[in-house]
Amino acid sequence: MASLRTTSRLFAASRPLFRPASFARSYATVEAKSIDPAASENPSMKTFKVYRWNPDTPSEKPTMQSYQLDLNKTGPMMLDALIRIKNEIDPTLTFRRSCREGICGSCAMNIDGVNTLACLCRIPTDTAQESRIYPLPHTYVVKDLIPDLTLFYKQYKSIKPYLQRDTPTADGLENRQSPEDRKKLDGLYECILCACCSTSCPSYWWNSEEYLGPAILLQSYRWLVDSRDEKTAERKAALDNSMSVYRCHTILNCTRTCPKGLNPGRAIAETKKMLAA
Amino acid sequence: MASFARPSLLRQALATSRSPLLRQNVGVSQVVAFHASARKQILPPEPQSIQGTMNDPVPVPAPHPVEGSYHWTFESAKKCVFRAVCVGLIPLSIAPFAAGSLNPVMDAILCSLLVAHSHIGFQAAIIDYFRPQRVPKFNALCNWLLRAFTLTTAVGLYEFETNDVGITEALRRIWNA
Repeated sequence: MASLRTTSRLFAASRPLFRPASFARSYATVEAKSIDPAASENPSMKTFKVYRWNPDTPSEKPTMQSYQLDLNKTGPMMLDALIRIKNEIDPTLTFRRSCREGICGSCAMNIDGVNTLACLCRIPTDTAQESRIYPLPHTYVVKDLIPDLTLFYKQYKSIKPYLQRDTPTADGLENRQSPEDRKKLDGLYECILCACCSTSCPSYWWNSEEYLGPAILLQSYRWLVDSRDEKTAERKAALDNSMSVYRCHTILNCTRTCPKGLNPGRAIAETKKMLAA
Repeated sequence: MASFARPSLLRQALATSRSPLLRQNVGVSQVVAFHASARKQILPPEPQSIQGTMNDPVPVPAPHPVEGSYHWTFESAKKCVFRAVCVGLIPLSIAPFAAGSLNPVMDAILCSLLVAHSHIGFQAAIIDYFRPQRVPKFNALCNWLLRAFTLTTAVGLYEFETNDVGITEALRRIWNA
């Protein structure tokens, strides 16, 4: 990688060229040089209250732990704050994160009462208000902010989320699709399965063992409307019982909370219409 | 990035939240006990139970002849008829020309819809709150209680219609009282 460093770096001599890794700036922290000097004199300290629970001490009750960060030295998103807390204050804080740009769905958590991705959630600049961060509601917690999504993935597997065809394609190469048919998948294929919607659904809180939940039903609808899929009848039969779909009571928390702006409530309604037809 | 510089031994020492090292941390101001819910819950959640291995899908229920899409279609149709009848009833109960000559067919439709509507609504509530997987006996009790109440309501409405003034006439009298 050293060869890729351009010579222009040599002339930007305010920083040393080679630094030990331990002193490298993490991306969650704002670079010291870019901080406004007036701002560094007036730090805007914000309190973050984070849900803590350690499986090593299971008899201890979960606690809310407070951390204080200077927002001038923190990146704009909640995930930046969490990474900074983990890096600089408390390395025992545990959470999932990967892509930090709303594509992987790892950092789904309940921030200030709303299920969202920490990487897509801006830190409210009002420092008088503390921010409260919990794991996804009504999930079994593995540690701190990490929920156990085993059941969620098992339910996803049960809808067979892959293309099912028996007939070979016309040219033997590709399963072709008209632009109109492709358009039906818009608003469905973007789902990243972060489980924000399912864990915000009261019906899923009560009946998560049997009810599939909005995220899985949106994915199920994505395969129901796919023009290339030939097992639509089997897919519909798998949903045709009192629990899988019809525990949806159109509460629409799913649509309200989706960090990707999708509409699982509509997908479930369309599924119901397809099943009724 | 300071955590990268720490030796792993120190990390392990930090791993317990009761560690004195952590107490000295400037950013950690307080640790408070957390209670999400009341002490006495009606149906506290059970410990997690996963059927099969991690890689098995959850079992898919068999299609039911009455539940599922048939149930939903019937309920939707019933809702439409119910709304139409209710909206139709409002002018009837107000209009003076309806006095004394209310249609018994309307009474029959309204009463049967009322019984079906309340039965389906309460059934949904029982499925939601008292699941057979969680409380099988109480679920069965609730279902039989609901059936008994539905039957009693149906018989009572029938008696009211045949031996008394009927539901629309009763509503009219209450309205005009």
